[in-house]
Amino acid sequence: MSALGQIGELWQLVPVQRAGGGLLLAAFGLPIVGVVIVGLDIMPVRFAMMHVALLGIAVGQLVGLDPVLCALVACALAGAGVAPLARTADGLSGAMGLLMSLAIAAALLLLALSGVNANGAFALLWGSILAVRPADLAVLGALALAVPALFVWRRRDLALLLHDRELAQCSGVAVQRLTVLLLVLVAVAVAGAIRLTGALLVDALTLLPALAARRLGRSLVSITAWAVGIGVVVNVAGFLLSLAWDLPPGPVLVLAAGAVALVAHLIPERRTRSWRLPAASSAPSPH
Amino acid sequence: MVCRHGRLEAVQGVDLDVAPGERIALTGTNGSGKTTLLRAVLGLHRRVDGEILVGGRGTRTAAEWAWRRRACAWIPQRPAAGRFPLLAGELLASSGSPAEAAEAAGRLGVGMMADRPLSSLSGGQLQRMHLARAVGCVAAGAGVLLADEPTAALDFAGQEEAAELLTTLSVTLLVVTHDRAMAARCDRTWEMAAGRLREVS
Repeated sequence: MSALGQIGELWQLVPVQRAGGGLLLAAFGLPIVGVVIVGLDIMPVRFAMMHVALLGIAVGQLVGLDPVLCALVACALAGAGVAPLARTADGLSGAMGLLMSLAIAAALLLLALSGVNANGAFALLWGSILAVRPADLAVLGALALAVPALFVWRRRDLALLLHDRELAQCSGVAVQRLTVLLLVLVAVAVAGAIRLTGALLVDALTLLPALAARRLGRSLVSITAWAVGIGVVVNVAGFLLSLAWDLPPGPVLVLAAGAVALVAHLIPERRTRSWRLPAASSAPSPH
Repeated sequence: MVCRHGRLEAVQGVDLDVAPGERIALTGTNGSGKTTLLRAVLGLHRRVDGEILVGGRGTRTAAEWAWRRRACAWIPQRPAAGRFPLLAGELLASSGSPAEAAEAAGRLGVGMMADRPLSSLSGGQLQRMHLARAVGCVAAGAGVLLADEPTAALDFAGQEEAAELLTTLSVTLLVVTHDRAMAARCDRTWEMAAGRLREVS
């Protein structure tokens, strides 16, 4: 059977349609979250959020609430909680490491107290794009709308904040409020995406397009546009490849996004025009 | 007022009264507390005892801080190249009046670089951009200009140009400088040594 025929046949299946739709929606919101992660220099956020989510699940199981909901709330609280540490340049990335250690320790303690198997709790964290439910699609859709909307609405403030916090503060940007908002958004998006797509795929959907875009764009607006563009192309191409050759979508998407990021880093840096002004305008006027 | 860095008292018992429209040069050895003093006015240095009033207003509430930061334009020492790219035009627009800032950038010879990221500018060009931004802040209503070594990265002609520009703005000027020509254009010169302040001329 031809690869094209196989894609057509698999596309008849509802889970495959949902997965495709989910990936397309994810391509609009998550790469922008990745741009924030790169901009705030909080690459370890995924590991921190995995562990905080586990703590949320442990709390949920101990008190009998929906564990996944508890995980999302725990991540949102953790994101808001580390915001004050953003005051110094490297405060946040250190905070992510600390958060990770504290959260896993607290989670294991709670799981031991509640007598729940840690592996069972972990299993709640692992999703798969082929197991996406309509409710998950709604979450991805909300992210796909909310995240770009925030970026369009506040792009000047965000550009200043990600460039230099003190300059933003002196330009009248409400840095504290905006940092909290960004960190909560990152925390919830990453935690939600882990649940929806599996931990490995989160990197392909958020970080890798942003890393490639960081290299290709020259301003927040162009970097964001590149990130979304790369996200859409990688997600669509990777998903079709995995359907055509019957491969698991997660690793194929990560490899595709990784290849794009690698190529972006190998392209020689675009030569900026000379530092000097064009000769014609800097030459003294003949008059 | 007293400012601390950890246990170190970077600024000790400074009591300074600047009249509106006055131009003050702040000189002194490296590490004597000049930058900390300016940053304390803007709330960028937090560990401050005592009181700083601008236009008679303190900073008890967030709204008062917002007013303070609108009222005080700032030219940072060693402008950060930034963690994330910012276009020069975006820097100029952050002053609150993009047109005036762009016009000043033109006068300072960096007007055509507005579409370039700041990281691709030289140190002197970046400093000129910040000067132009400060002009925009003044146009947007700032009555005080806190300039931290605004001519340090400039060539000789640029130092003249910048000193001329800064001292002809109709603002209260507090400028940290090691440039004698800049200090000579100011109304008063204060010298800081080991966190203390004294008037020298």
